Amino acid sequence: MVLEIQKPRPVWQIMFSTHHTDVGYLYLTFGITFLFMGGVLALILRTHLFFPGQGVLISDSATFNRIFTVHGLTMLFLFALPVANGIGNILVPIMVRYKDMAYPKLNAIAFWMNPVGAALLWLGFPDTTWVSYAPYSVIRAPGPAADMFIFGLKILGISSILSSINFVVTIIKCKHPDLPLRRVPLFAWSMLTVSLMTIVAMPTYAAALIMMLTDRLGLSGFFNPFAGGDPIAYLHLFWFTFHPEVYIFLLPSIGMMYEIIPRFSRKPLYSQASGVFAFVMLGIIGFASWGHHMYSTGMDFTTKVVFMIGTLAAVPASGMHVFNFLATMWGGRIRFAAPMKFAVGGIALFFSAGAGGVLNSAMPLDFISHGTYWVVGHMHLFLIGTIGFGFVGMIYYMFPYITGRMYNEKWASAHFILMFWGTVQTFFTQHILGLEGMPRRVYDYPVEFTSWTILNQISSVGAWLIGTGFVIFLASLIYYSAKGKPANMDDPWGIGGKYYYPVAAKNPHGGRSGY
Amino acid sequence: MSSNEHETRSYRTSSKRLGKMLAIIIGVQVVGGVIFFANYDYWNSYLPNAGKLQEQMMEKEEAASSAGAGTPSSTQGTFTGKEIDVSLKFVESPDFSKYGFNAPTGSPGSDPEIDANVGDKIVFSVTNGGKSFHAFAVTASTSGPGPAINGTTIGTADSPLKPGQGGTVSFIPASAGTYYYICAVPGHRELGMNGQIVVGGGGNSSSSIPAGTGGTAPANGNKESFSLAFEVSSDFSKYGFNGTGGAGTNPDITVHSGDTVTINVSNPSKVFHAFGIVTDPNDPSSLVWNASYKTADSPMKPGDSGSVTFVAGTPGLYHYICTVPGHAALGMDGHFIVEK
Repeated sequence: MVLEIQKPRPVWQIMFSTHHTDVGYLYLTFGITFLFMGGVLALILRTHLFFPGQGVLISDSATFNRIFTVHGLTMLFLFALPVANGIGNILVPIMVRYKDMAYPKLNAIAFWMNPVGAALLWLGFPDTTWVSYAPYSVIRAPGPAADMFIFGLKILGISSILSSINFVVTIIKCKHPDLPLRRVPLFAWSMLTVSLMTIVAMPTYAAALIMMLTDRLGLSGFFNPFAGGDPIAYLHLFWFTFHPEVYIFLLPSIGMMYEIIPRFSRKPLYSQASGVFAFVMLGIIGFASWGHHMYSTGMDFTTKVVFMIGTLAAVPASGMHVFNFLATMWGGRIRFAAPMKFAVGGIALFFSAGAGGVLNSAMPLDFISHGTYWVVGHMHLFLIGTIGFGFVGMIYYMFPYITGRMYNEKWASAHFILMFWGTVQTFFTQHILGLEGMPRRVYDYPVEFTSWTILNQISSVGAWLIGTGFVIFLASLIYYSAKGKPANMDDPWGIGGKYYYPVAAKNPHGGRSGY
Repeated sequence: MSSNEHETRSYRTSSKRLGKMLAIIIGVQVVGGVIFFANYDYWNSYLPNAGKLQEQMMEKEEAASSAGAGTPSSTQGTFTGKEIDVSLKFVESPDFSKYGFNAPTGSPGSDPEIDANVGDKIVFSVTNGGKSFHAFAVTASTSGPGPAINGTTIGTADSPLKPGQGGTVSFIPASAGTYYYICAVPGHRELGMNGQIVVGGGGNSSSSIPAGTGGTAPANGNKESFSLAFEVSSDFSKYGFNGTGGAGTNPDITVHSGDTVTINVSNPSKVFHAFGIVTDPNDPSSLVWNASYKTADSPMKPGDSGSVTFVAGTPGLYHYICTVPGHAALGMDGHFIVEK
């Protein structure tokens, strides 16, 4: 899957390359590997919750906590960010018509920090939950796992700042002089937005991690209530970084849909300007809503209202994207090949997840749904429904260009049906489970609540469907990248027309990729 | 179909290269897995320094609070003593910088101290004479708005007393110590709405006898003999001598200095015990006059019995306890009073 169409090169040459497509392939391989490792953890959790009772599959609650912690960390930092960076690495220099990223060595360094961070997270297997709220993470989370978590996230944070700097410089300073910034394709715009957001948001959490480390060592007491610190301060620092981070995960996926939808609708994009405007809007508004994660921490009413309005302000901008997609598809001769299926499925689930988000942001309702499975359902509907669908669609879209071979449309359809049905069944059900009061992150639930048992079982079956879909995905990626039919590199889906970007990437190692 | 437009031939992925990449990925994961599972317990093995410091701090606090006059109980006791009527009024200073009961804190007459004994009934008649909302509670905690002792609240922080409203509530201390009557609205206690209730031992008030020093006295020839049985409740939650909390449990033993005392102990319970007379019931090693039978290391087995004879020393209040660690705290702690 990592491979591209050029003279077969040794794997080592790709691994030590600084060329943007090679680094992109490394990111993609890394991200997809961890998608499956995190997915296995998710299925273990869901299978464990199939029956009420302790020790159904996992023997003790501490192990359960460790598994869901690493599942969250893996999916966010080792799958979503690397895949977005990988696709960005491959496409952005081509989209701005430059020979490579602005700083190729920095690019490779930024990638190679990822395996180190991943090793720290996976070898430690911490039990802090991915948010690692103080005071547990400061005074009780056992080491060395929690310390390795701090260093792992630190390294991943530095890596994402470095790659963000690279994207910003590439797009703003290295784009072709004939290409005005407003005409830069929307996927590159999404990478520019999230890179700027990362540069603004990430240092806050980097500071919070250092504070947490010194707190754990007993040298300071920023978040340690027994040393006069304030755990709520950690929440503010955390969510100041990680609410924008939600958009950092989301926007590349929207950008990928902007790549896929016009092509398979056989129509030009409805409005470039509104897409650019909506990206920039979301990039700014993303910083105005971190407090909505903390309504129940005793903020005063005025502050809560400010954050509520800040959260709702993201709705018009998200709606602009959805209407842009719909207007592009309207009247087009749509070809529902796999990438388009995933993009359209992603739009539908984005809309559902967004509707749930509007409910969440309403303060009175948030007090009901806070800390319940509603939140789990809502967040996963975003993460799988929009981000996962966008990424998977984009991987199918780039598959022929990267491998020179075609995936099998029937298996891809099976994957889509299983994944779409499974996502709806798993995560819509979890919303209901949350309204019935099941708290999130629980190891066991009472057998007396029969409706919880039934809803958990529906949810677990849905998760197995998603899992089956991804087994098909993995098998397809491996089999068809080696044995698939050779693809027609100008028009792999037979939808007519030349590829959107006139300039293909020249790889200094010789040969020529589809990009 | 425009594949002919390519100037160069397309080279496609080979299975060999794919296999190599897979081997690398799976190899890394297997090595990582071996490292991880071989050390599974290590990864979550120690507390952070901050946690260790916090545990030490908690231990110190516990030791400090148990070394005081007594540990305040968090529940109400039973009414055996006299009734004390107290009327209190919530007031604030005109600029709302100082709060208090009856007068803003710092002024004479504010937050009057209440003295009572265990078993006394303190009846609070409380009115809100101020301009803001308040709520009344009695608590054993030394800071913060609670937790309140059951049945001692008038209003809560969520539904407080409005100006002019009031109510009556009674509090019966269950054990000696210092309690506080406070305003339960967060912040008000810190501004001054915080009065002390000092509760003495009550009953025969043996706590008024000074603690014994453990000095010896010459035998005067008198002989006294007592019998004590180690008893444990069926759920092992309550321990005691001659009972587990009911009447007759831990009877006071009163002797005269210089008496030759024989104590016959028996262990009808299902737990190992050891007998000793100490100056501090929290410290089983503070034994006096060698007045011990068996030790925690080599205790009395269930069914054993035996006796110890000693000469009572200098006058004061001593404790006869089970010297097995923890048993005294669970209730095996009686007064051994030496009179002149």
